[in-house]
Amino acid sequence: MAKSSKLTTMIIVLIPVAVGINYAGKFFAEALKLPLWLDSIGTVLAAMLAGPIVGGISGAINNIIYGLTVGPVSFIYALTSVGIGIVAGLLYKAKMFENAFRALISGLIIAVVATVISVPINVIFWEGQTGNVWGDALFAFLRSKNIGIWLASFFDELVVDLVDKVFTVFIAYGIFRALPKSLIYNFRQEQ
Amino acid sequence: MKAISLYVDKDTFVHKLEPVTKFWYALASVVLSFIFPSIWMGLLILSTSIFLSLVARVLKNMVGFVSAVLVVSITMLVIQGMFYKENVTLVFTIGGLKFYKEGLLHAILLIIRVVNMITAFGLLILTTRPSDMVTNLVQKGMSPKLGYILSSVLQIIPQMLSTASTIIDAQCSRGLETEGNFSEKLRAVFALLGPLVLSSLVEARERAVALEMRGFGVSNKPTFVREIPETKVDKTLKFLMKTILIFAISWRVFSWIMW
Repeated sequence: MAKSSKLTTMIIVLIPVAVGINYAGKFFAEALKLPLWLDSIGTVLAAMLAGPIVGGISGAINNIIYGLTVGPVSFIYALTSVGIGIVAGLLYKAKMFENAFRALISGLIIAVVATVISVPINVIFWEGQTGNVWGDALFAFLRSKNIGIWLASFFDELVVDLVDKVFTVFIAYGIFRALPKSLIYNFRQEQ
Repeated sequence: MKAISLYVDKDTFVHKLEPVTKFWYALASVVLSFIFPSIWMGLLILSTSIFLSLVARVLKNMVGFVSAVLVVSITMLVIQGMFYKENVTLVFTIGGLKFYKEGLLHAILLIIRVVNMITAFGLLILTTRPSDMVTNLVQKGMSPKLGYILSSVLQIIPQMLSTASTIIDAQCSRGLETEGNFSEKLRAVFALLGPLVLSSLVEARERAVALEMRGFGVSNKPTFVREIPETKVDKTLKFLMKTILIFAISWRVFSWIMW
């Protein structure tokens, strides 16, 4: 495989699978009636397998396809998905997925990054709301206490994202650990 | 197999437009409703989109899209109506909760803006076959590899979802607990997602070999099996959209510099 970071065929076939895993995660979460979305497991896995750039691309394509197949609102959150992919890849490189404890910390970091990226989008499009009932109830409460829109929106998004992202990352970590090494090395870009 | 595309197969004027033309329309609508923050401008764009969805006979599907933001729109009216920072004029009171005119108008503006975005992009999505969109973008210079990724995602998702249902059945027949408390359900996620990830990664590896065998990695310029035609109407409309966009953006930049 080429040494440059160009898209190799292995990477090109990995990205659709990553998006498919995102969809499947959401499908399983709904089938099990879990109060989570789990719709970015594939993005995190792709980032762990092939690095931050591939993670970012997977995130972007995930939201483009989601926008095309479920509803256009998802387009505007593509940036959040890209952020999740890139940060997951960087954390993997920084050996933050070595054990369960570090994976947990990584989950928290990814949740905060996802929140930081989503807040400006929420402020631009929804004046700070997220559309999640619990988050928005907190938002309304904070606004009534005269807390600034950005801070209120940050907490609105964080309560929605934190639990979901931590479990997403933790599940991705668990599955990655169980994958055979021979398979993992196929997707490594740099030899 | 469950189809995942939202494309509505009809034979109308809007369906026959080049996908890129509809993309420019969507972009122009979104940009205009952001740089002209007035309810009238928003309603003008909204009525254009609704008129076009009537022409394309997809209005019913469009209502489905818009109803997805119904809840957030209502909460937006409530929150902005009560807590908007420029609230002065009291309109009505429900059980001690005060609603103000400025906040309600502001919320309506925001809602129209979001609905505009949804209807403009919805028009593109509902009237364009996803594979045509990808082909059209590759014709316009997008990397064919990216084109392959996009169109293969659309094929892989239904496949993986049907594998997912098979895995649920298989694991349940082995006695997997899918009901119960949170940690039991979480354990079930591993038992379901693990086999799916493993099998689809192995399949992906095989697909990569099959693609390489057929010369996928070659860097020659590909030719197209099906060319998407660009009609005179497309050219005119695209020119119109681009002109409107340039005028609107320069007007906005100009007015910022002046004041």
